Amino acid sequence: MTFLIRTIDHTASGREIVRDREVEGATLTIGRATTNDVVIQDLAVEQHHVSASFDERGRVKLEAQTNRDFAFDGYKTGNVQFDPATGGTLALGLYSLAFAKEPDGQVLVIVRQEERELGDRDAVRKFDLASAMPNKRVVAWLGVLAILAAFLAVPVWTNLARADKQPGADGIDQVAWDASWSTGKLSLAHHALENNCEACHVAPFVSVRDETCLSCHQDIGDHAPQNRLAISRGPMSSGDALLWQIADVFGKEGPEACTTCHTEHEGAGRMEPAAQQFCSSCHETMDARLADTALGNAHDFGTDHPELQALVHGKLGSAKLTRVTLDGKAREDHGLRFPHAMHLSTTNGVARMAGNLPEYGEALVCADCHRPTDDRNGFLPVDMESDCESCHSLVYDKVGSTFRTLRHGDVAQMRADLIAMDRAPRSPITSGLRRPGEFKRGGRYFQDFGRPTQNYIGIARALSQEGVCGECHVPTGSGATASVMPVFQRSHYFLNGRFDHEAHVQEDCTSCHAADTSDSAKDLLLPTLATCRDCHQGADAVEADVPSTCAMCHSYHPPAFRGRKKGPQSVPPDRLAGLPSGRDANR
Amino acid sequence: MASLIGGHDEGETYAEIEQRRSSDHESFLAHRAFFWAKLAAILALFVVATYLLVDVEPRHNGGSWYGYTLGTLGAGLIAWLAWLGIRKRRPTPGSWSLAGWTSAHVYLGLSLAVVGTMHTGFQLGWNVHTLAWVLMMLVILSGAYGVMVYATLPRALSENRRQMTREQMIESLSAIDRQLELAAQPLSREDTDVVVEALEQDVFGAGLVARLRGPGGQDATRRALAHISTGRAYDDDASDLAQQQVRSILGKRSSQIDQIRRQMRTKALLEIWLYIHVPLTFALLAALVAHIISVFYYW
Repeated sequence: MTFLIRTIDHTASGREIVRDREVEGATLTIGRATTNDVVIQDLAVEQHHVSASFDERGRVKLEAQTNRDFAFDGYKTGNVQFDPATGGTLALGLYSLAFAKEPDGQVLVIVRQEERELGDRDAVRKFDLASAMPNKRVVAWLGVLAILAAFLAVPVWTNLARADKQPGADGIDQVAWDASWSTGKLSLAHHALENNCEACHVAPFVSVRDETCLSCHQDIGDHAPQNRLAISRGPMSSGDALLWQIADVFGKEGPEACTTCHTEHEGAGRMEPAAQQFCSSCHETMDARLADTALGNAHDFGTDHPELQALVHGKLGSAKLTRVTLDGKAREDHGLRFPHAMHLSTTNGVARMAGNLPEYGEALVCADCHRPTDDRNGFLPVDMESDCESCHSLVYDKVGSTFRTLRHGDVAQMRADLIAMDRAPRSPITSGLRRPGEFKRGGRYFQDFGRPTQNYIGIARALSQEGVCGECHVPTGSGATASVMPVFQRSHYFLNGRFDHEAHVQEDCTSCHAADTSDSAKDLLLPTLATCRDCHQGADAVEADVPSTCAMCHSYHPPAFRGRKKGPQSVPPDRLAGLPSGRDANR
Repeated sequence: MASLIGGHDEGETYAEIEQRRSSDHESFLAHRAFFWAKLAAILALFVVATYLLVDVEPRHNGGSWYGYTLGTLGAGLIAWLAWLGIRKRRPTPGSWSLAGWTSAHVYLGLSLAVVGTMHTGFQLGWNVHTLAWVLMMLVILSGAYGVMVYATLPRALSENRRQMTREQMIESLSAIDRQLELAAQPLSREDTDVVVEALEQDVFGAGLVARLRGPGGQDATRRALAHISTGRAYDDDASDLAQQQVRSILGKRSSQIDQIRRQMRTKALLEIWLYIHVPLTFALLAALVAHIISVFYYW
């Protein structure tokens, strides 16, 4: 039996070239080596890959010549026998060898090479980066959708879909994912609202309203009525007017709105105080527009500021407050007789006495009598018992080793104590008669029934100019109505300004308060504007020790503006001598 | 266009070529004697000057009147700059040439970096507003890179081509492959395997990193070359001649692949910025919409 080998090739134009040849012999060798009967020019094929032979029954036997298998009719195998009449296809690399039986008994082997793309027609496009990258359009859409969802849809949807549209820091009614909308940290005062945008941004597309601010800041004082503000400001420049017109179109409330000055989201920290320019734009020439104003013009603390004025009790015994200009000659009459110079002397009797008492130094200093408030901003009113009495004793009697002391601040009580003091000598109510035994003077049961004339004399003496009360107080009246003038101590002297002693702690008291040279309690020992200007100059005076903006001493919204009428302005009524308790000291 | 961005010293021939090219081709960068470059520079300087002069209390931010003005200007610029994507697909409607449009796109796009940054008042944070700014800056930076490579790389591309078209490169590789396949027929199994591996190698299957790395990397062809190396003693080997032939063809194949890879690398460098510029532009437009709506939503 012989094999008829039919190779079918293709020309470049696709035309088939069919070549037939016969192979004599019982074995057909197939492989890459040129010595084979059928040469398969495919590198995937072994040099001697398969041999085909006939078995005794005329069947074709294919055997792998190496340990490499071959594919026959789709199955990988190393050894197969088949009837050539049925046929079969041996696949080697890209070649297929189809076996069939010719009518003349020859076994026909059709060798055919599969089409192979050597030059990839699309390869040119693969030079471009596009073949190695994801589609730009897809990426772009994914990015757009992700950003719009996360930064727009979620916050807007949760804002609109809230059941209870109330501001709340937590819970299901909170707007989700709106932290990404915050343009910056809130000031420290508003830190608690950091995650609660809807507390201020109440309605969509509506600017933050004053009423929202005032819902918390209920007690904020108005700087001035709106109409006076407008007059003081004067006409806007055309540029400002245009800007406010545009702002009005966008729904801003106007130049008087809270948010005009108080910008938020400027970063954690204190809310920035207004600049000097902000105040001076109105106050520099305000009297020209607001003719009835009591305020002097000011635009720079160092160069243009009215003299300081203090709120004092100008008339002895009167609760009425008047303002005096601090020109170095200002006086007040608070009702105490207290020469500062005498008490601060280092050489006189006061100093000697201080030196003898264990709680004082060689001489008195300010802090011996003036105690700071807890916040150390100011000073507590001078208190007789703690600040004066260690020298100015109110002792009037001694029983055994115990001293009896008058109660300070209550004239009626003082009067009663002195009247009831029975050790003062009294004239006997009878003359010539003496009581017997233990009832006589010096006896165990002696009672002095005489008139307490000496006691009344003692009271009158105490309340006189030279008496124990008159030492510090101004006596008033005589006889049964004798008393002392009420005392008014101010803890704050400034109506519109603010002073912090704590901030000036490195200074000596006397550098501002000329107490060591003051011989009269009526001297108002407050510094003048010139004294302040030793250190403080205007905001732009960079070479000054302390360049000072208006906001250093003044607040646009005075915190106690409304509360001023309520709080105690002086010593509580029960501390006032000469006034029966229950009557209003501030009348 | 390369010649118009700074000089070059490649020698006489290049100068001549470029001169010839310049005479009949005006780069979009130099369009109308750098009209848009000048305009954009004036705009940027004006914005910087006003930023320094305008007094905003307590400090500059996007929410002042000046900030809103710059924001409006910036948003308008972004919308117009993005419009190039639509404009370039339309063949010259109106009087604006695409070159003029592109020139304006490049220079106004660069000035947008100043407008947008001044709009922020340098108040940046982790929020959608800064996201928009970051995206804007990335788009501008990628665009600047794009202009740079457009000015420099096309020369490298044509130098590498050596008068060959890309089709010719592929055809050359195919021809080499056919030769290689024939030449490798007498080789041993072991040697054939490495040749087959080289033939099956997909030169174009390279990902972004491989493309950017360019030629010279270890691949199947070089491995085959190393395997069938000259170091082997073939004197008594019958297939020595075939091996020599295969070796020489593999060498040709390797340098052909290098040329293709160099081409792909340059193309990748030339095109990569668009994969940042275009998707980020869309992301920027989305962030810009979110930015503007959110600002007025929480007004």
